[in-house]
Amino acid sequence: MTSAALPPPAPEPAWSPEPASGPGPASRPVLALRGVGKTYPNGKVALRDVDLALGEGEFVFLVGPSGAGKSTLLKLLIRDELPTAGEVIVDGRDLARVARRKVPDLRRRIGIVFQDYKLLPTRSVRENVSFALEVTGTPRRRIRPAVEQALAVVGLSAQSDQLPTTLSGGEQQRTAIARALVHEPRLIIADEPTGNLDPLISWEIIQLLLRINELGVTILMATHNAEVVTSLRRRVVALEEGRIVRDGVGGYHRED
Amino acid sequence: MGFPRFLAFSVGRALQGIRRNALMSLAAIATMVLMLLLLAGFWLLQAGLAAGVAYVEEKVEIVADLRDIPGAEAVLVVQAQALAAEVAAMPEVRAVRYVSKDEALARFQARLRERGQVDLTGYLDRNPLPASLEVSLVDPRDYEAVVDLLSSHDEVVEDVVEIQQLIERLTSVTDVLRTGGAVVLVVVGFVVLFIIVNTIRLAVVARREEIEIMRLVGASDAFIRWPFIFEGAFVGLLGAGVALVILAVAAGPAGEMMYGFFRVLPLELGSLARDIVLLVVGTGLGVGVVGSWLSVRSYLTS
Repeated sequence: MTSAALPPPAPEPAWSPEPASGPGPASRPVLALRGVGKTYPNGKVALRDVDLALGEGEFVFLVGPSGAGKSTLLKLLIRDELPTAGEVIVDGRDLARVARRKVPDLRRRIGIVFQDYKLLPTRSVRENVSFALEVTGTPRRRIRPAVEQALAVVGLSAQSDQLPTTLSGGEQQRTAIARALVHEPRLIIADEPTGNLDPLISWEIIQLLLRINELGVTILMATHNAEVVTSLRRRVVALEEGRIVRDGVGGYHRED
Repeated sequence: MGFPRFLAFSVGRALQGIRRNALMSLAAIATMVLMLLLLAGFWLLQAGLAAGVAYVEEKVEIVADLRDIPGAEAVLVVQAQALAAEVAAMPEVRAVRYVSKDEALARFQARLRERGQVDLTGYLDRNPLPASLEVSLVDPRDYEAVVDLLSSHDEVVEDVVEIQQLIERLTSVTDVLRTGGAVVLVVVGFVVLFIIVNTIRLAVVARREEIEIMRLVGASDAFIRWPFIFEGAFVGLLGAGVALVILAVAAGPAGEMMYGFFRVLPLELGSLARDIVLLVVGTGLGVGVVGSWLSVRSYLTS
């Protein structure tokens, strides 16, 4: 399956209220990259001619060798970088047209999970998760239930008062996932979430992400984990030297 | 989030931040205390130096030896006192003192006694020493007009002691001391500023992961920045407070020791204490806030 014809760009301002969700990728996509290119000031071409659209509820793997452009693509999605060509549209908004001071708002609508968890080491599991809501100025009485729910989904309710240093890698990643979940995002981006974990724990994390996907959250996961990708048979977007060379259901390698 | 709530929130986070990073905060406060003590110390030295220099300059006097005509003493005294009044009215003059012949003799005798020399003045028929006018100036450099006036009254003034050279030599030294003192203070000030800002910067660098995570999770710049600014303010105020306590405690015994020495100096202790408090608190708070703001800024490139 190649990307279907993208829906025509909606004539809306860069700032719109919560979009209604529709069925599948043909209706308003959760994210869309159109003709996106990224060339760094030093001349390195990280991405070229990238066309990609993700629909509501999809679970997509982003694969490719190191240096293929996976991290760059994810950075564009959270506006850590701006494209040098094309448009990046997330949740209906053209990221390039979002004012700088509105960027934090953007990031609150996307859940991000990293390979190194990126947890605050001096705070407990509960505090790490509630932090994501604190920064948005959510009143305390609304934070508590949201945090408890997120912790329940990832199965860490019992460890909620522990510090990250006392947790295993898997538990730390689950904390990060709970943090990504807590403000109920439409999209979760995971950059090599199982990179630091052993195969058994990796599978647990993947199962968790699959469960979250079933709840309706779109998931885009960059990974080197060939076994997981091949056995799950989901949509795979393969990057090579900055270009998308494959986009469809399949395994980690072309021949899988 | 409303402004007052945001403020309370930032202050709360700031206090949390200081507690959670207690060691770094302590290091920053300790550095702040030492640097503020250094600054206050040099300020005191500079004030003392300026006072000492002013004291010396005040002591410079123009001396005019008055005519001594036997038989005309009464007239001369009246004329001398009139001249003294005229001189005293000049803006360049701080005070005029009339030293009578008798007083001049008494001083001479006292000096002989001090040096252990034999006093033979008793053998003299009359007092050979002249009366004189001792004129002290507001600024030793403004001697010309006074000298001119005294010289012009040669009916009562015998001789004006030549002091130009003395004054020029003195003021060249005092000028150097004053300028040098100010320069040293400025240099010390810069060193203090640099060290404090660096210490704060180190403290913030240690928290850069925390800042990065805040950015990725969608915290606004203001949300990230203000707790750090308050932390800097608290560290600055705390450091200033401790420094002032140390100075106050040291001021007691040190003050007594110095009082005897400085008593003669035109040093105004009341305003000096106020100046030091302002300096210490102002520097601590100011550098704490600005240092934090600058340090966080480099990590806020969204």
